[in-house]
Amino acid sequence: MTQVERVQYDNSIVRNFAYATILWGVVGMTVGLLLALQLVFPVLNFDTPWLTFSRIRPLHTNAVIFAFVGNGIFMGVYYSLQRLLKARMYSKALSNIHFWGWQLIIVAAAATLPLGMTTSGEYAELIWPIDIAITLVWVVFGINMFGTILKRREKHLYVAIWFYIATWVTVALLHIVRSLEIPTSLTHSYPVFAGVQEALVQWWYGHNAVAFFLTTPYLGLMYYFLPKAANRPVFSYRLSIVHFWALIFIYIWAGPHHLLYTSLPNWAQSLGMIFSLMLIAPSWGGMLNGLLTLRGAWDRVRQDPILKFLVVAVTAYGMSTFEGPMMSIKSWNAVTHYSDWTIGHVHVGALGWNGMLTFGVLYWLLPRIFNTKLYSIKWANTHFWLGTLGIIFYAIPLYWAAVVQNILWRAFTPDGFLVYPNFLETVTQIIPMYAIRALGGAMYLTGVLIGVVNMVKTIKSGSLVANEEVEVPVAVEHKVAGREHWHRWIEKRPVQMLVASLVLVSIGGAVEYFPLALIDDNIPKISTVTPYTPLELQGRDIYVREGCLGCHSQMIRPMRFETERYGEYSKSGEFIYDRPFLWGSKRTGPDLAREGVGKLKKSDAWHYNHMYDPTSTSPGSIMPAYPWLHQNDLDTTTTFNKIRVLRQLGTPYQEGYEYIANDDLMIQAKRIAQSLKEAGIEQEGLERKEIVALIAYLQKLGTGIEPKAQAEK
Amino acid sequence: MFKYLLQSVENMNWLAVFSLVLFFAIFLGSTIWIMTRKKDFIDKMSNLPLDDDE
Repeated sequence: MTQVERVQYDNSIVRNFAYATILWGVVGMTVGLLLALQLVFPVLNFDTPWLTFSRIRPLHTNAVIFAFVGNGIFMGVYYSLQRLLKARMYSKALSNIHFWGWQLIIVAAAATLPLGMTTSGEYAELIWPIDIAITLVWVVFGINMFGTILKRREKHLYVAIWFYIATWVTVALLHIVRSLEIPTSLTHSYPVFAGVQEALVQWWYGHNAVAFFLTTPYLGLMYYFLPKAANRPVFSYRLSIVHFWALIFIYIWAGPHHLLYTSLPNWAQSLGMIFSLMLIAPSWGGMLNGLLTLRGAWDRVRQDPILKFLVVAVTAYGMSTFEGPMMSIKSWNAVTHYSDWTIGHVHVGALGWNGMLTFGVLYWLLPRIFNTKLYSIKWANTHFWLGTLGIIFYAIPLYWAAVVQNILWRAFTPDGFLVYPNFLETVTQIIPMYAIRALGGAMYLTGVLIGVVNMVKTIKSGSLVANEEVEVPVAVEHKVAGREHWHRWIEKRPVQMLVASLVLVSIGGAVEYFPLALIDDNIPKISTVTPYTPLELQGRDIYVREGCLGCHSQMIRPMRFETERYGEYSKSGEFIYDRPFLWGSKRTGPDLAREGVGKLKKSDAWHYNHMYDPTSTSPGSIMPAYPWLHQNDLDTTTTFNKIRVLRQLGTPYQEGYEYIANDDLMIQAKRIAQSLKEAGIEQEGLERKEIVALIAYLQKLGTGIEPKAQAEK
Repeated sequence: MFKYLLQSVENMNWLAVFSLVLFFAIFLGSTIWIMTRKKDFIDKMSNLPLDDDE
């Protein structure tokens, strides 16, 4: 008879993360619904800086990814890790630091993003002090997780834990590399990478945030909670192992599929496309492994809402991981990129895979840790149907919108002119689709709110089993036999596994990045491209602050319908002074890469009026107004540090230029103020206003490859 | 552009080949490892989530 000992699982930390998951889920989705409505009713921007679409879009993405899904990950990991290892969490204190630290980071993000404190890197918008806090809290989580793994009573690590380990190490690497930046103040910094190189780092990060934050930890949860809920083992444990290695290896290479047809060198684009296509195999291996786990139990899926949530989650995972590789094929990417297809795609992933899995796990786990029964199966079913229909009503209108966008963007007259030369005409036609999308989002959120009531009532009907006591066999010493397979060795030694995964995921990033960084030829220089003047620089930082890249790209692809509309396609050499790069990823408004030259060039006064009230120059525009730019004085005290930091990073400002930069800034500002005055715009102290700096920046766009425009300046 | 590409590949080829070989070797290694495990082990691993607290 084996000896047993008693161990207490810590359920209170699971409860905390569960509460946070629910709370931030509601917050993040409510902000999402507001954004969806703002696109239909621009009046909902309220002319208020911190409620404006462009500023709160990153709030929505960050809240859903890092607050809702983030807390969901921790909830699931803290629950399953203890049980799979038959050990209590390593340290209660670290658990609490992790929990409160993460919530504090979320609150800090929610406070800074609407104030315009952003780096503009998509899903890496948070300012540098918060980046440091994330690193510290992530390390605390890591110590707590590895501490638990090391004191485990179960010799073997179940595949879910492999996914957790790969998640931890890869997210750490991604976050640190993406956050390499030099501060110019407490709330502002410039990235160490510029232009094309930053783009590559950004999407290596951005894609793998999807891979290693939204996917691998949730696959770990799937491999634990799906067998639990179905009460049967995973279809194939062998397949799960192959799934794991194949997935983490291939994922790390796929980032450049976000940069197809951009100025990124072609070889990197091809690499990204090929690896993305290969991803179908492990992704579908995982999906099928999940669905086949339910073989012979499909009758229960009809009755059990939890299984319904999990089935839709895994199905949505399958759909979006089929769609993703298809979207990485260059010719199809030419259609989906910059269009609303991408937004539909990510929401099948976020609402379907992450959302439905999270709620399935919550419904399964809450009654257990509160030692009670789910309050209402009926309500859970209602939540399920509202959620599922919500996803459909959300995604399909956006796919439809993407098709319409492409038809309109690409339409030529028989004489070879654009049928819709005014971008706005292509926007107004898809507003009905945006309205249906908002309805889909509202349905999903309604389902969530019903779920919240159901969960609150469930919680109230029970009481928390804070320390769940179980009997487990006494731990056996881990002996390493002489002739063991290397894989066994790695599996028994989680630290080795950590190092091995780190090395492997690093290689994927390095192979893509180093050739670009080391070989000058990859970024052909353009002699006429000059650094930003101090005023343009300040204007650019306002562009970043207001989140303009949420709707406007600055990257013209080499396609006739683009060059006809926007001018010469973008060259990598044009971006060497761009910190941060502002290529963007979606066009709700037109591309702005050549806004200051050619047929797109507008007068200073046009920009002044347009930013004050977009409908005054563009009737029917859904762009928010930015009237505060006309009232706020430009903060020129930051110029000194900005110039100095940029020179440290390699921008060729002369030694000591920071001391006189503001003189140049005022000269240029006065010139623009004068041109506005000549156009009949009278305003007290106009040359000191932020709008002047923004106009300077917008007029600079595209001048790099137009020596004539340079000379005129 | 292709000129640049060819020039760069010259120096970087070893890195690409090295990573391809490494990745493939580990993939193959893990596949062989898991495929050669005994059924007892696989069954035990599959049932780990189920025999924890119920």
